[in-house]
Amino acid sequence: MTDKISRRDFLKMAGVGAATTAVLTGCGPAARYVEREPYTTMPEYTYSGRSTYYATACRECAAGCGLVARTMQGRALKVEGNRNNPVNLGKTCPRGQATLHGLYNPDRVHGPVSQKKRGSRDFKSLEWEAAIDMIVDTLKKTDPGEIAFLMGLAPDHLFDLVSDLAAAIGAPAPLRFGALAMFEARGTLSQAAKNLFGELALPFFDIANTEVTLSFGANFLETWLSPVSYTRGYSKMRKGNTNGGRGYLVQFEARMSQTAAAADEWIPARPGTEGLVAQALGKLVAEQRGDIIPHAFDVDVAKAAETSGVAEETLRNLAGLVAVAGRTVAIPGGAALGQSNGLETAEAILTLNIYLGNTGQPGGVYLSPVAPLSEKDHNPASVFGIAALVERMESGKIKTLFVHGINPVFEFPKSLGFEQALTGVPQVISFATFPDETAVLADYLLPDHHGLESWGYQRVVTGTGNAAISGAQPVVVPYYDTRSTVDILLAAAEKMGGKVASVLSFADEVEFIQSKLADLVEESDGFFSAPEVNTFLASFQQFGGWWKTTDSLGVPENDDALTRTLKIPAAEFEGKGEFHFLPFVSPILGEAGANKPWLQEVPDPTTTVTWNTWVEINPVTARELDIKDDDIVRIVTESGSIEAAVYLYPAIRPDTVAVPFGQGHTAYGRYAQGRGANPADVLGLNFNAAGDLSYAAMKVRVEKTGKKHTLARLESRMGVYGLDEEY
Amino acid sequence: MSKHKIPEYNTSWSEEEQGRWGMVIDQDLCTGCQACVVACAMENNISFVGEEDVVYGRAMHWIRVERFWEGEYPEVKATDFQPVMCQQCGSAPCEPVCPVFASVHSQSEELNLQVYNRCVGTRYCANNCPYQVRVFNWRDWERPEPLNNQLNPTVTVRQRGVMEKCTFCVQRIHEAEDSAQSEGRELVDGEVQPACVQACPADAIVFGRIDDPESEVSKLTKGGRGVQLLEDLGTQPRVTYLKGG
Repeated sequence: MTDKISRRDFLKMAGVGAATTAVLTGCGPAARYVEREPYTTMPEYTYSGRSTYYATACRECAAGCGLVARTMQGRALKVEGNRNNPVNLGKTCPRGQATLHGLYNPDRVHGPVSQKKRGSRDFKSLEWEAAIDMIVDTLKKTDPGEIAFLMGLAPDHLFDLVSDLAAAIGAPAPLRFGALAMFEARGTLSQAAKNLFGELALPFFDIANTEVTLSFGANFLETWLSPVSYTRGYSKMRKGNTNGGRGYLVQFEARMSQTAAAADEWIPARPGTEGLVAQALGKLVAEQRGDIIPHAFDVDVAKAAETSGVAEETLRNLAGLVAVAGRTVAIPGGAALGQSNGLETAEAILTLNIYLGNTGQPGGVYLSPVAPLSEKDHNPASVFGIAALVERMESGKIKTLFVHGINPVFEFPKSLGFEQALTGVPQVISFATFPDETAVLADYLLPDHHGLESWGYQRVVTGTGNAAISGAQPVVVPYYDTRSTVDILLAAAEKMGGKVASVLSFADEVEFIQSKLADLVEESDGFFSAPEVNTFLASFQQFGGWWKTTDSLGVPENDDALTRTLKIPAAEFEGKGEFHFLPFVSPILGEAGANKPWLQEVPDPTTTVTWNTWVEINPVTARELDIKDDDIVRIVTESGSIEAAVYLYPAIRPDTVAVPFGQGHTAYGRYAQGRGANPADVLGLNFNAAGDLSYAAMKVRVEKTGKKHTLARLESRMGVYGLDEEY
Repeated sequence: MSKHKIPEYNTSWSEEEQGRWGMVIDQDLCTGCQACVVACAMENNISFVGEEDVVYGRAMHWIRVERFWEGEYPEVKATDFQPVMCQQCGSAPCEPVCPVFASVHSQSEELNLQVYNRCVGTRYCANNCPYQVRVFNWRDWERPEPLNNQLNPTVTVRQRGVMEKCTFCVQRIHEAEDSAQSEGRELVDGEVQPACVQACPADAIVFGRIDDPESEVSKLTKGGRGVQLLEDLGTQPRVTYLKGG
């Protein structure tokens, strides 16, 4: 060492050395965990009365935000956003904040169990070794073509392992899915991007740098794709950081969502006409700018106004705004795409972006950067793909089903028949952390660790300009006798021997992760660099992931979208009822938050209702039907019916009723079970051209039940409709 | 974070100027996402009460996000989301009514403190608070094992019969002051972040010293868009709201 090394350099090296040692000392999985220690033998990096912080990744949704967990003496006390992670830059959403109520939830599964009769919940404890032997036995005896893996939305290390495993034994590739993908019609957006830009991936909308944002049903401040990142973009757009002026947000949707409530204008277009509105706007902007009207926008504006229920004057005013604005972006998402014409709608809205010339421009549409380690296609399955799986299950072509990170019995529409199809599968193995609806119908329940107890990495699919992969590490020692699913599968692979054992010859989960991340050591312009993989892994843990420092957004290209004919078929609706039905993901609970007591206690942003499901009905409609606040009504479709109490919602179309998704559990712990209703129970099975469910294309009947349930809302009824009034 | 010296306490200041810690909430940025609400609950060991007690108005939120409906469909509007927590009044109506001095004004931080072990639960303070931000423990709320593992050791756990409210995360203020002192330096603007500020994904909440004219919170307070809730009551709130655009 020469004396030219600065003190800073020296400290850097010392730090790296220490961290590397910590990683290398372990030999088995247990040794890699943070130990809970008595005061007298505390590790030297902890000081009594001071907290220790660990960077990890949030697993509450698939966005891949980075977290920093504050721990003290082996207990996790609080999570905050990771300032370094480019997805969330130190911020969190309510679901991320409540992740500790999952970790320390009183209803977690304590260890591996099996049950003789499915649904009996008469669980018998099992030894982990016996569980692994059972998996080995299954994998050996079952025809690989009759094994199915069903997983959550996150493209993480477990997905990689299962993909490798499936390939090694010759089983079909694992399917990834989740209710969020269904209710956001992600597959439709990706397909539209493919049709126009040639990339089957979610586009990125740079709202931070735009002047006017036209959002067609995209609830980007709630749950849509990457809500924390889009909220940051919204904040910048409002501050007018880059272009001086305050950005303007217009939201088109049948019901005023939280995003629409924060918008400057909420335009309740008739469901299924969003694409037509985009075309009419495109035509009017072209007229006002004196451009040649693109072929794609060849619609009759007056007729479009009539069909959509949006006044022509409103359209013209809006077009005037867009015509003079420097930068406008149009976002397709949510219920607008969950229609029979969802794909064409998405294409029309993306075409509007192409006409406005914002593709690949600041404040416009980009292709999301390809996440590191993404040589494979990382798009989740479409609902159509899931329906195909259900069909194979029903016809007895699936002998063993592995389920991880998803609760299909709850999340899928009941009409899909997943629950019935399960009876056609001789063996169901769930890796759920909680006894959810699917887990209680499984033969074996082999609980994985909670996200804060486990290792991992997760690709960031969209939400940031930097190609990123978020890293997870345990922040506390596992509280129960749970075991990492990756470790179980690796142990099973070793016991199987042969090709499988040679492909998956890793001592444990960490070694597997290390082998995958090794490819990144050679990569340039990373947030940190390291000479070899151990040092790399130490930094990966310290910073909570790896990302490029440079922008790697793709520029979407299209030559002919404006000149081709774009004909959007009229939306078709299923059912004979008189009301449009709009199920939406609860902004607070998301798809899996119902088991966390503090999330249940948090009021919904627009209705302030807690702990239950409600039905939103316009007060005028309600008066006609003689329905009052808190009356329980029945929503009836051809596929089923649900009951929930009414919230008289002044900001919804009179011809629409809306119900949040997230409650209505029949299992999933004491805070979730027996509470509210699940709108997925009444959905029909109609698909749009992208194979996604047209979940918002239902017509339902609303029936009175004569029952009442007082909704627990934070707001006072005074000042809303007045205590003295009838409503 | 700008590095500059924070002025020493000056006896010539009038009462409004003395306030040391203050907050600015930009309603144009707030999206109503409730991240602050959950962050506050997780940091401050706040109990959940369950559906029935929420109906009775016994929810324990130290911070709530208000919105009101204006107009009728289709001209209906939700007003700008408005997070409301204890306004840490300079002249606080809750203080003089407490018979046991549990609701007191701290000289050192210029905050309204609630001394839990003095509180006898008369609830006079909550009745006298114009902002309705004080919450009362009507029961020993259930917190089944192992949820208690998450309790923050730097915040007192309250029991039945005790009034509680937002403290501006005074434990975080003290921790930052202590570490600055032990490092022999001044606190820098932005170093102290209450849980709500740290979580807010829209950066709508800013916290800092309002006796420091250079702090971001001072600049925003005087920026022209600032209003205070129920200003005419003369409570001298330390929280300033910036109206939406």
